[in-house]
Amino acid sequence: MTVAAGLGYALIALGPAFSLFAGVVARKPFLVLTLLSSTLFWLISLIVLSGIWRGFLPIKSGTWWAYAILIITSVALQEGTRLVFWRLYKKMEEMLDAFADRISKPRLSLTDKMLISLAGGLGHGVAHAVFFCLSLLTPAFGRATFYVERCSKMPFFLASALIALGFLVIHTFSMIIAFNAYDEKKKCDQIVVPVVHLAAAVMTLVNLAPGGCLIGTPLLLVMAALTLQYCWRVACRRLTEHQHRQLNDN
Amino acid sequence: MADAAAAVPGDPRDGPTVLDSLGEDITRIVYPVTTCMLLVVLLVSLLSSPSAPSPLAASIAATTGGGGVSGGGDDIPTALVTALTFVVAVTAATFLLALLFYLRCTPCLRAYLGFSALSVLLVLGGQVALLLLSRLRLPLDAVSFALLLPNAAGALALAALAPASVPIALHQAALVAIAVLTAFWFTLLPEWTTWALLVAMAIYDLAAVLLPGGPLRVLLRLAIERNEEIPALVYEARPVDPRHGRNWRLWREGGQPGASSTTVEVIGEVLGRNLDCNSGYSSSPQVHEVATSAGDANNSRPRATLAAALSSADSSIAQAEEVPVLQEHRVAVAEMRVPLIQPHPERYGEEEEDEDGIGLSSSGAIKLGLGDFIFYSVLVGRAAMYDYMTVYACYLAIIAGLGITLLLLAFFRKALPALPVSITLGVVFYVLTRTLLEEFVVQCSTNLLMF
Repeated sequence: MTVAAGLGYALIALGPAFSLFAGVVARKPFLVLTLLSSTLFWLISLIVLSGIWRGFLPIKSGTWWAYAILIITSVALQEGTRLVFWRLYKKMEEMLDAFADRISKPRLSLTDKMLISLAGGLGHGVAHAVFFCLSLLTPAFGRATFYVERCSKMPFFLASALIALGFLVIHTFSMIIAFNAYDEKKKCDQIVVPVVHLAAAVMTLVNLAPGGCLIGTPLLLVMAALTLQYCWRVACRRLTEHQHRQLNDN
Repeated sequence: MADAAAAVPGDPRDGPTVLDSLGEDITRIVYPVTTCMLLVVLLVSLLSSPSAPSPLAASIAATTGGGGVSGGGDDIPTALVTALTFVVAVTAATFLLALLFYLRCTPCLRAYLGFSALSVLLVLGGQVALLLLSRLRLPLDAVSFALLLPNAAGALALAALAPASVPIALHQAALVAIAVLTAFWFTLLPEWTTWALLVAMAIYDLAAVLLPGGPLRVLLRLAIERNEEIPALVYEARPVDPRHGRNWRLWREGGQPGASSTTVEVIGEVLGRNLDCNSGYSSSPQVHEVATSAGDANNSRPRATLAAALSSADSSIAQAEEVPVLQEHRVAVAEMRVPLIQPHPERYGEEEEDEDGIGLSSSGAIKLGLGDFIFYSVLVGRAAMYDYMTVYACYLAIIAGLGITLLLLAFFRKALPALPVSITLGVVFYVLTRTLLEEFVVQCSTNLLMF
């Protein structure tokens, strides 16, 4: 439905990502590089996943359990990727700290580490939004719009943009929670992240039912809001603890 | 707390941490490469007809009852022959350039550069402008067009060729414009020919820079021996803040003089480098020469490669205070050109100076040859003719390849070609996306299933 509609859908999916990028990530070049590398990681994991599943596609529309297995394997693989990313980040952190010592500058502060995890999560979220929503948005720039049979009340592009927005928020902020949890070795937070991811992904199974997208999409956005609120709590707690510890050290 | 992004109050003792400016070199080269690719993708989507429709577009077209467009394919043998001819021509032209450089015919080279930049901007720029005007239905009369085009072309060519006399932003914009126009022209070639050409150029680049008898290596050796810079078109990222350069030098002097470098030093070198801060280096008078022989079937197209003389820079950095001038010459990057010959006689010929390869300039900023810009954008533009998913995948692959090449540059400390890694990764990702990823993603998202 014309360029304006296409741009609108793209902005629905990626608007918050743009503002996060312009406001936070673009100011420090290292965060831009972190974002690009985490996007690449996500893409590689997606390619591996599609390689595994290529033989089984196309899935017949009646078998919803096949989709469930697909979603479970995908989430498992992506959480594994997150762990690998965490290991690489730890190595990079050691190297950066050693480098900072040599050039006699202060080491990475807690805020820096959180910013790096934010950039990593944003990379995952942007990759998700780009590959699942933006790449299919090209027909939306044309003259008409498109409806899927099972979702006849919302244009397909709007539904996918909203879902992409939800997942962008979930990916970005669950990365912060996850890195904090791995750092502090808190088991409950470490479990929360994959559970949230799996719950959100399974929730999209609702979209398979006729008219299900009207329920699934708002639920997903609620999930994203919950993740955001949880991450806010975790970050505030961590930062105030850190501040108290530094005040006590003085 | 120094970083403005955090709203939470922090320890007032924390100054700017190491994260503030690390990696600035790399982002200063990533942004222009991204811009060039973005412009080429935009031009391609506006102006070209798709080669083969992607599954989603085809399915949507089928449901609306529209007829699908079948891409006309060209066959593989023709493509291979064309690519081979191209590479042979490029090799011959590089040897010719080496000969000219050896005989110190710098006026020839300069004239060649200038002519080729002007011709690309005038002829190709005019063609693209006309296509855009007709496609977007913008009203512009012929007289205004005839006035605007030569003026714009002349101004941009001047900005590209004489970086000392124009603002650096304009100089970089002119170089990107030349790269965009050339890359767009290359995407007009048939599909198999384009891919064969990209792979052949990557292999040629690898061979020419690293093999002992390679033309680019010969040219580089000549340039280093004479401490001269080869005139060519090269994109130089803006120099980094000199403050960090001083810290870097202190660190290097305090460090061990051993040859073995740990990963930390190498990473530091790649990410936080500024080798020359107070030697008063201003961008060298890079002369760009272009020669065009329009109407001639065989036109040569120069390309250049950059090489870094990092090893000599390391030793001279230790005595940086005493010999700033020597240091900047050591770090100077040599550039080389390789003319390319037009494969199809019916196309009008043009030549350009491009450069391939990656290296360091005297001011420590990263230099990337314009030929690299062009071939990266050709790959992405050709991917755009299929679908946007391949565009994103190839973009990420190329940036990853660029990062890997920069790391290798810091490890090996000698001239490195910038094309092979990126083109290989780009082609691999294109094939993987087109065969594996697309089906999967379309299956999932048309059912609104995401994870």
